[in-house]
Amino acid sequence: MRVKINYRYIASLAASLAVALLIGAVILMVSGFNPVEAYSALLSGAFSNARHIGDVLEYAMVLCLCGVACNIGSRVGIFNVGGEGQLLLGAIVSAQIGVVLNGLTPWVVIPVAALGAALTGGLYALLPGWLKVKHNVNEVITTIMLNNIAEFVCEFLAKGPWKNPDNNIVAGTGNLPTEYWFTRLATGSNLTTVFFVATIMTVLTWYIMQKTATGYEMRLTGDNPRFARFAGIKTDKLVIIGMLVSGMLCGLAGMFRVYGAEHIYKASISNDYYFEALTVAMIAKYQIPATAVISVIFAVLKIGAQGMETAAGVPNQIYLIIQTVVIFCMAAESGIFDGLKRRAEDKAAKAAARLREKEGAAHD
Amino acid sequence: MPNTPETVIQLSHITKEFPGVLANDDVSLEIHRGEVFALVGENGAGKSTLMNIIYGIYPPTDGEVFVRGKKMEEYSPKNAIANGIGMVHQHFMLVPSFTVAQNIVMSREPRRAGIFFDNRRAEEITRELVKEYGLAVDPSARVEDISVGVQQRVEILKALYRGADILILDEPTAVLTPQETDELFAVIRRIISEKHMTVILITHKLGEVMAISDRVGIMRHGRLVSLAETKNITEREIASEMVGRPVLFDELERTGTPGDVMISVEDLHVRDNRGLTAVNGVSLEARSGEVVGIAAIEGNGQSELLEAITGMRECVSGSVRIHGTEAVGMTPGQIRALGLAHVPDDRLATGVDAVADVADNLITGRQHSKEFKGFAGHLRRSTIERWASEVYQRFDIRGAGLHGAVGSMSGGNMQKVVVAREFSYDTPALVISNPSRGIDIGATEFIHEAIMEKRNNGCAILLSSADLDEIFRLSDRIITMYEGEITGHFKAGEITKEEIGYYMTGSRRKEADKVDAS
Repeated sequence: MRVKINYRYIASLAASLAVALLIGAVILMVSGFNPVEAYSALLSGAFSNARHIGDVLEYAMVLCLCGVACNIGSRVGIFNVGGEGQLLLGAIVSAQIGVVLNGLTPWVVIPVAALGAALTGGLYALLPGWLKVKHNVNEVITTIMLNNIAEFVCEFLAKGPWKNPDNNIVAGTGNLPTEYWFTRLATGSNLTTVFFVATIMTVLTWYIMQKTATGYEMRLTGDNPRFARFAGIKTDKLVIIGMLVSGMLCGLAGMFRVYGAEHIYKASISNDYYFEALTVAMIAKYQIPATAVISVIFAVLKIGAQGMETAAGVPNQIYLIIQTVVIFCMAAESGIFDGLKRRAEDKAAKAAARLREKEGAAHD
Repeated sequence: MPNTPETVIQLSHITKEFPGVLANDDVSLEIHRGEVFALVGENGAGKSTLMNIIYGIYPPTDGEVFVRGKKMEEYSPKNAIANGIGMVHQHFMLVPSFTVAQNIVMSREPRRAGIFFDNRRAEEITRELVKEYGLAVDPSARVEDISVGVQQRVEILKALYRGADILILDEPTAVLTPQETDELFAVIRRIISEKHMTVILITHKLGEVMAISDRVGIMRHGRLVSLAETKNITEREIASEMVGRPVLFDELERTGTPGDVMISVEDLHVRDNRGLTAVNGVSLEARSGEVVGIAAIEGNGQSELLEAITGMRECVSGSVRIHGTEAVGMTPGQIRALGLAHVPDDRLATGVDAVADVADNLITGRQHSKEFKGFAGHLRRSTIERWASEVYQRFDIRGAGLHGAVGSMSGGNMQKVVVAREFSYDTPALVISNPSRGIDIGATEFIHEAIMEKRNNGCAILLSSADLDEIFRLSDRIITMYEGEITGHFKAGEITKEEIGYYMTGSRRKEADKVDAS
């Protein structure tokens, strides 16, 4: 179901975040830490210097791109769970393109790598999309399975045919020549100029989905495919294109990780980013602006947590628990908000009832 | 009948508020033992809400319900059933794969040794009920295999088994043939005269109010605006009270003569969702400037036929030509491009995007028109709004406003959105299915006039409806269908509503009049 992003949603999200941080504070206190100290360590871990802020933004960028990819799928009524595989394949193909084309000007290599990443991710998503449209095969199952295949294919390539000549690297492609690296925006951080490209891509996707006739048709298809077909919309085509574009974005996210942050393909290129992005997209009700904002919140929690560990000494496990509580509460935002609201209403109703009784007694 | 009637249900100042809607506004009403009380009103007038309160689905915001003088303390269906109230909903609450007997005893099953379901006893109970109330059903038949009319009897028996002596029937005749309706009314009369039960009937159909009820209550905008003995009020007076203004329902004006064949179907075979033959060799045609009505009881292939014509369903064999072009195998979009618009059977599932707003639903199909498309492919919202608000007013749509979700509208207004969109394409041919299902008199009148205007302007219209009054009012020619086959062709005025029932149930057949059909 489509939900409008409105003040109510924002209020309920804020309420759920507050509840989560409160629970987190209790956990911290029970385990013997000062919650104020720990939370301020989290904030300074995320914002204290340009490097941290840069890392937050890079993390948010990847989440946001993957979240947007998921939004495109959901807009046409298809749930792409295979973004992780599409991202990995996009990453390894673009990395290898950089290695193979070494020596050519970046003006050729980077576009070719981007194209390669987008095509690989896109085609890999096209398969489940096509199966869904032509044979009504459940895309959730196929995309999950394709994730595993992609993961092992990449591992095979990184250990075998495309292996890094340096024997210290067990599983990884060759190092990306420095002239192909995206320019860093803050020293020591992962944030690079590609952030602007990702921003443009996000805004463009939002524009197409929100403002154009094509976006309108996608929306109808996702809301009620029978009606869309009835009204003469080519729903099959839209589902396939939606899946293709969704996969392309994931593939590009993989390339951005290689050319921006890691400069090599290795398994840690993605830390289940796509699955985290799925959560983001769902909490954002599949709306792009909200996806961007929540990506940043998630990134702050992720990057800030490292600060919490080093500055406040909170062990890994504790902040992982807190993080999970936050995600849990945000996912349950409507429930939490409704619960709080109902309690307030009950109180008001009881007060009103007491008032009526008093008045009734006065009349008697 | 005693001079001072015994009150079985008393509603005292019932008010029910839903967020933003006052569904019932200070309704006070007494229902007497042994009467048939008809509750009429347009959609959204609050009659279902009122009955749901009596049946305990939800409590009133204010006011009280007394059943046999006892104040209702807890509002739940369980409590209502314990108080002898039974309700038969418009959409039956039966388990299709269970037998009649199993459905009837459900929730109070006879058991063997305390844990095992006693099927033999269940069937005995059913037979006893059948004998006692004279409602014939086969206890061991599966519900999915019996007709809608019989399913309704099962619902009534279920309520009776639970000890109901006050029966609430919500739109009971919406799915019945004239013959089945007569049977239902006979049953109602019998349980009232023999068992001194009480029946509350929610309905739109005023003819039935006059035929069966003792008193009638008319609701409008949540209020009970009128309460009368049926013998002291006329059909026309009831209609006017319901709508709040005089309703004429005059003969619709017909002009022009039929022209070219626009829709032509030849020997069409279509399967239903289960893969069974639903349409079996149907041939028909509709010319511009005429309304061809298909009269059939629900589930006799008429829905599948219309879906096949409009491309929503695959054809097994046969031919469909729209203005001379073969349309079999085309997508709905391609068929639309040939000049066929379609008001579908199920507006919520097929006719609208319920979560999108009214404006978006009105412009569907025009999203690529030059008028609406601006720089970089963006949709020109202000132009769309201007166009949509003009259509909104022309079709007298009310409720959500241009930016409200269609899903939040009443059935009548939702239907107007569908009709407004489909009619605004100005196509030379139209396929319309159940245009007034579940919608109120005012909206029905409006839609009928719009259909007739289309016809008079030279549109070819193929109309299917479960409502015979509608078929008779609008059609120039009538075709009856039974079990996927055409059982009769008639010109308007050639046949009566009673007689046509025999063709709709397959007990009579009439070959196509060759002069007429060619």
